[in-house]
Formats: sequence, C-alpha cells, structure tokens
Amino acid sequence: MGSHRSGGATLFALSARQVTKRFPGVLANDRVDFDLLPGEVHTLLGENGAGKSTLASVLCGLYKPDEGAVLRNGTQVRLTSPRHGLQNGIAMVHQHFRLVDRFTVAENVVLGHRKLPFRLRANDLEDQVGQVAERFGLPLDPRAVVGELSAGQRQRVEIVKALYHGAEILLLDEPTALLAPPEVEKLFETVRAMTQAGKSVVFVSHKLGEVVDISDRVTVMRDGRVTGSVARGEADTRKLAELMVGRDIDLSPRRSRGEAKGTLLSLSNVGLTKDGVDHIAQVSFDVRAGEIVGVAGVSGNGQRELAEIVAGLIAPTSGEVSINGERVNGVGTRNVRKAGLAYVPEDRLGTGLAPSLSIVDNLVLTRDRGFLVDRKSAHAEAEAFIAQLEIKTPNALTATRKLSGGNSQKVLLAREIFAAGNNSRVLVVCSPTRGLDVGAVEAVHKLLDEARSAGKAILLISEDLDEVLTLADKILVLYRGSVVHEAMGDQVDVEAVGLAMAGLS
Amino acid sequence: MIIGNYRIELEPRLSTPKWLYAAVPALSLLFAFVVGGVFIGLTGHSPIGTLSLLIERGYASTKGITNTLGSATPLICTGLAAAFAFRMNLFNIGEEGQMYLGMIGSAWAGIVLAGHLPGFVAVPMVLLFGALCGALWVLLPAVLRAKLGTSEIVSSLLLNYVALNLVNYFIFGSRGIFRDPTTSFPQGRLIEESARLGSFGTTRTYPTVLIAVALAIGLYWFMKRSNYGYETSVFADSPNTARYAGMSSTKLTLSVLLFSGALAGLAGSMYVVGPAGKVDPGLLQIGLGYAGIVVAALARYNFVAVILTAILFAGLREGGASLQISSNPVPISIAVVLQGSVLLFALGGEVFRRNRLRIRRVQQVSVAS
Repeated sequence: MGSHRSGGATLFALSARQVTKRFPGVLANDRVDFDLLPGEVHTLLGENGAGKSTLASVLCGLYKPDEGAVLRNGTQVRLTSPRHGLQNGIAMVHQHFRLVDRFTVAENVVLGHRKLPFRLRANDLEDQVGQVAERFGLPLDPRAVVGELSAGQRQRVEIVKALYHGAEILLLDEPTALLAPPEVEKLFETVRAMTQAGKSVVFVSHKLGEVVDISDRVTVMRDGRVTGSVARGEADTRKLAELMVGRDIDLSPRRSRGEAKGTLLSLSNVGLTKDGVDHIAQVSFDVRAGEIVGVAGVSGNGQRELAEIVAGLIAPTSGEVSINGERVNGVGTRNVRKAGLAYVPEDRLGTGLAPSLSIVDNLVLTRDRGFLVDRKSAHAEAEAFIAQLEIKTPNALTATRKLSGGNSQKVLLAREIFAAGNNSRVLVVCSPTRGLDVGAVEAVHKLLDEARSAGKAILLISEDLDEVLTLADKILVLYRGSVVHEAMGDQVDVEAVGLAMAGLS
Repeated sequence: MIIGNYRIELEPRLSTPKWLYAAVPALSLLFAFVVGGVFIGLTGHSPIGTLSLLIERGYASTKGITNTLGSATPLICTGLAAAFAFRMNLFNIGEEGQMYLGMIGSAWAGIVLAGHLPGFVAVPMVLLFGALCGALWVLLPAVLRAKLGTSEIVSSLLLNYVALNLVNYFIFGSRGIFRDPTTSFPQGRLIEESARLGSFGTTRTYPTVLIAVALAIGLYWFMKRSNYGYETSVFADSPNTARYAGMSSTKLTLSVLLFSGALAGLAGSMYVVGPAGKVDPGLLQIGLGYAGIVVAALARYNFVAVILTAILFAGLREGGASLQISSNPVPISIAVVLQGSVLLFALGGEVFRRNRLRIRRVQQVSVAS
C-alpha cells in the first residue's frame, strides 16, 4: 500500500488524501487514501455501507469532503459539482442511469454540453457521437431512442456520454449488476480500449466477481476505512472477502447431500400469453423434495411471471402447475399456501414484507390470524429468530425498513421457512441475495441449504448466475419465457449457460 | 440556507426523543396563539386579555366547556371518519355530505319509524339509520375506487355539493316529509320525542358525547388488535404486500370507505337526536365535515387523539363566537384565524419532530475553476 505516496516519482491521475465525510449518525469515510494511476483499472471493493460509493461521489464532485483533499494529477482540486468534476476529466456512471428515455442516443450524449451551436444539426451530432462510440468499441446506434434500449446498451450510452464530454477518468458504480455475461465481456473490451488510450477506470463494486479479475489493483473498504489495497495476483477472492467482511467467508458450492425424494412441485407445458405476447412458453420441470432447482437468466426473460404463476398470484393461460399432486392453477395465493407453498419474492421490502410494520407484524403476515391477532406468540417467535439467525435490530418491534437488506431478508426467509404454522414443503425464492453483502449472502445461502436438507423442494430463480451455480442441484436457463438449456449442478458448462442466457445457444 | 457566516440546515433525526411528542404540539399551540395575538392586536384589542377570555369561555368555565363538549360531539365523529379512511391512504373528503345524509336518514327514521317505539329502541335505530345513509352516500365513490381506481378524493368531494342541495331541497324547495307542515316558514319537521335525547341538565352537552368517546376508544383498540386492523395497516403500508399475502384490496377499500361514511353519517345523526331534532339547514353553515379532516390531521390520525383535537377545535369556535358578546366585541374571524394558525403550526411542527435544526459556522470556500 505505502509504496507510492504523493510527492514521489509517480504522478497519480487521481488521489484522495485523508478524505473524511460524515452523514447524520454515520462516518461514511474515515481518513481515506486512494490512488489511481493513468491507464489503470482499479476496483473499489466493499460491502453496502462500507463507504465506497461515498468515496466515488467525493472523487467525481457530487459530495464535498468534510476533511481531506482530492488531487488531480498531483494538484489539489476543490470540486463543487459533477459538472466541475467533468471539466477536470472525471465522470461517474451511476448504477441507476441518468438518461432521458424519450431522447435519442445522440441527444442524450450531447445533453449538457456547453459548447453546442445554437442550431443543432442532428446529422453532425449523430456522426460525432458515432465516432466516439466506434473508437472505444461501443456498438451503438446514435439515432436509437434510449427508452427502447436494454440495460447494457444504456450503460454504453452513459459511457459514450462521459467520453464525449472529455472524461479521462471513469467511475463505474456496480457496472455488471444488470448485464448478461456476454454484455459483461463487451464492457471489458471497452474498458481495455480506454486504458490503452491512457484513460483510467474505477469499478465500484460489492461483488467479488469478474470486475476484480480484470482489475490491476483492488482497494478494499470496510466501515468507512480502507482495509487493504492489493495489486493483481497478490490476493485471491477468499483473502479479499476477508478484507471486506473482517472474517473468513465460505462461498464454496453447496449441493444436496442426500438423495432427492418424490416430486413436490411440478410444471407441465405452462404458458402465459398476454396481449398476444408469450411471456412464458411451454415450461415443464419438476422439483423434488430435498433439491434446489435453479432458474438462471437475464432479468426480464419471464422470471417474474414464472414465480408469480407458481405462487398463485397469476393464472397461467395454458398448462398445469401442481403442488404435492394437487392442481393449483390460479387458485389464489391463500390456497396455494394451503397446498404447501412458501414464497420469497424478489422485492423483499414492498412485496414480501410490509416496510413500515414491525418484525413481529411481518411474521404474522402469512399466518392464520382469526379475529384478533395473536402478537404475543409472534413476538416470542421474532425474538427466537433474532437470536438464532443473528438478525441485527434494536428489537422485535423495529420496522423492517430500518433493517439492512441482509437482515430484512433473514426475517423474510425465517417466516417462509421456519415460522410456526408454516407447513410448507415447496419454497420459491427469487433473487434472494440481490444487493446483499458478502456476509449476508453467505448467511442466506446457508439458510437455503438448511431448508433443502430439511427436505423442502426449492425453486431458486435468480439473475445472479454465480448464485445459481453455487446452490442448484439442477440448472435451467430461461430465455424469452422458454427453458433453453438444462444442466446438472455439479457438471455444468458455465460457458454454455452464459451463451444460453444471451439467447445464443 | 446560508445566512451570513452561518449555515442553517435541517437534519433528519435518527430517533425522536419521547419528550418531543409533547413539546412539539405544546410549542406549536403557543406559536399559533402568538400569531393569533398579533392579529387580535391589529384589531385594536389586547391580545393577552382577549386570548384569556377566549380560553375561559371556550374551556375554563362550566358553561364554556359544556358548550364545547356539545359541539365537539359530531366533530369527533367526522374526525374519526376522516382518520379511519386516511389511515388506509383512502382520502374520503366527503364527510360533509355524508353527515348531511346522516341527518336526513336519522330524521326520516325519527319521523316515520320511531312512532310507538320506546326510547331505548328508537334512539339506537335513528342513529343506525343515519350511519347507514352516510355509508350509502360514499358507496358510489367507494365502488368506483375499488373497481376502477377512480380518485375517491374528487368523487367524494363532489357529492358534498349534491348532498348540500338535497338538504336545501327538502326544506326550502319542496313540501315533503322533512318539512314542518304546521308553519309556512320553511323549517324541518321535528322527529318523535321518544327518539330524542335530552341534554345533561341545563348544559348543551348531550349523552351522545359518551357514544362518540366510546367509539374513538373502541376503534383504537379494534384497529390495533383485530385482524381487520392488521390487514388495513398492511394494505396502507404496501398494497403489493397485501396482494402477496392474499388480502382482497376490493374488500378492504370498500369496507374502509363505507365505514368512514357511516361514522360521518353518525355525526349528522347525533345532531338530530341531540340539539336539532330535525333536518336543520343550520348544520350546513358550520362545516363540521371539513373540520373533521383538520381534526384528524391534527391528531395524526390517532383515534384517541381525535377526541382531544376535536375538543380543542370546538373550544376555539365556541370561545371565539362568545367573544362577540361583550362590550367591545372581537370579530368572529379572529377565531377562524386562530384555528388556521393552530393547524398550520401543528403540521409545521412535524418537521421539527422528524428533523433537527443545525446551525453551523461556515468558512467561505474559494472556488477553483
């Protein structure tokens, strides 16, 4: 870490010196040092709330540091706004894109540029934008309307926009979260083209995935401080995870240890057609007791519809869903639950849990309640879960929205797997670790593994391929509503799965 | 905001200390009186003298407090009606009209049905009819909302005007059953004596105040403990979660709006069995339905707190009105100014319960270009 300090021979493209940033009740950055070399790919790694996004926001001019300084090419700069940051060649691509949906790509890219002529010539602008895109290997049609583009394409628009405005340093916040594997590969090619042109790239990420692999250097943050900065090859993922979380983390694959028993959930030729569009087409599979079937796929390929069909929220237009041999097509959520289904939706706060209600009240949600609600037993149950699952909360009456993502997910999983009066045998789980910390991911995976060992039939629908690969005994790939690929968990060809997710099989 | 060398900011509180729950409303009330006092001063009266007279005539004298309790009675009901719907994010603005319909329904039952019935049957029946008519008056907005998602704010509000003209029609526009046949002067026909309640002694407080208070406490308990209260709180917090748990949004929306309408209707009934005894166009002048919305907002939609805010509001009105009876009368508009400033400061005070004010010195930072 201490090998290059400012004032030495190396001139850093961008540095943070002893940056401190406070928010009410939180010390988001505590005397943070950070150095970025020209032409370098650098990952800023840390859990949610570790302070990495705050640091990135300070570096791009969105926040002003309370103490400390930002240095550009060795000289201190006091950035007052992101625009001011951009004037210094620093740009950030946020996780939630900031584009105008109804504008074309070219219009979005030139938006905010100070030196536009009074009369905009669409053709000229489109040519300019096209040139920038081509130079960095970003296939984009400047005339396309942004609202019709995929997440990956929108990200490209953001990157082209930054480059068009003269960015030398690009900060990318969770850039792979929304991308399919081939799109990720494409992004990396762009990043290589940029570094070859002398530009620097910072990935801000909480995942020990692919971004770490292509980085020249990884700086790890925890609780607002830098816990380590390592060059490529100096540390493996396990070591990085330890730096992130502060303890040893086990993310190795978990498979069924026993033999799977009888079929509990069965779909045969299930289809959903709405307004002439097939959202789900001819999907058939079985889930047996004691196994996890994983459904992989890029977001928006029918995962939500599939989950809602199984959970009884919507009725399929063809085919049959049965739980424990009982046909449950569109019988409604209450009856599907009675038939033995538990459901952990993707949107945990806002669908699975009522955000302003307490942990106790959320445990009551799927119980049979009678005329008066029995909160006494729910309170005892909540306290037992809090102790058992190490849910961090002031008490059992805390509103679930005040919990961290990992802790609220534990409440939801506890209710759907272990809660009293829950005699479910089938569990449908959607993207259970989306946005969670490494430590919480480990805990959630352990819970699902325990539920499997307890003989539940689990359908895991996740956009996170790593998660499916880690947990599933059998893997299905969903593309445009159809199952296009099937593999057993322990003999999976990752490349084939990736291609199938992109619809290239 | 930056003033001179100081930066003034509102910062969200991480937790709210308990004492603030009492201090913020108390201070809001104080500030409201200060602002009201300024206006009293402008009219040439002594602010402190006038305010203390208002407090005495609104709350502190036997006559004052019993008058206040009497006019607070229907206000508690409309306040409960508003609070009940608003808690589920259903904005029933039609309490005014539902209350008129309650008055009409009660009067009808009191004239037509109460004839030979003893009081202990007639009074509850009359009250029930009023509640029923109040509920019916919100049926259309409720169905439109539940089935088509039409804004209940607009539809329930518009029905207020229909109800208003309905009352005017029954009394001034026609010679129907509601009109007193014995006089040529248009006024309401009195309901059967057995269907009316006498006031306590010589006061203007009626036993219906006990019903209103019992309703408030009962509702508080019921919504806190029952499955119905639980389901509405889930639905209010997150409709998707309610759908996930298999609750019927149609049933919940309909039942909440109808019950809210029934509570507002009951306000009209209490006016009939109590002071009025008939369909009285005088009720149209007071705006108890709209005031109920204000009372509920002040109470932060807490049913028990509605009792207190309704009494506060009714007292301002009673005290304000009685200020006109003096050698040097204060205009009645002053009472309205006071009500307005109480509401404004009470709602504004919320900001300070949730946030705290921070004043910090700032150094001027030179901006590098």
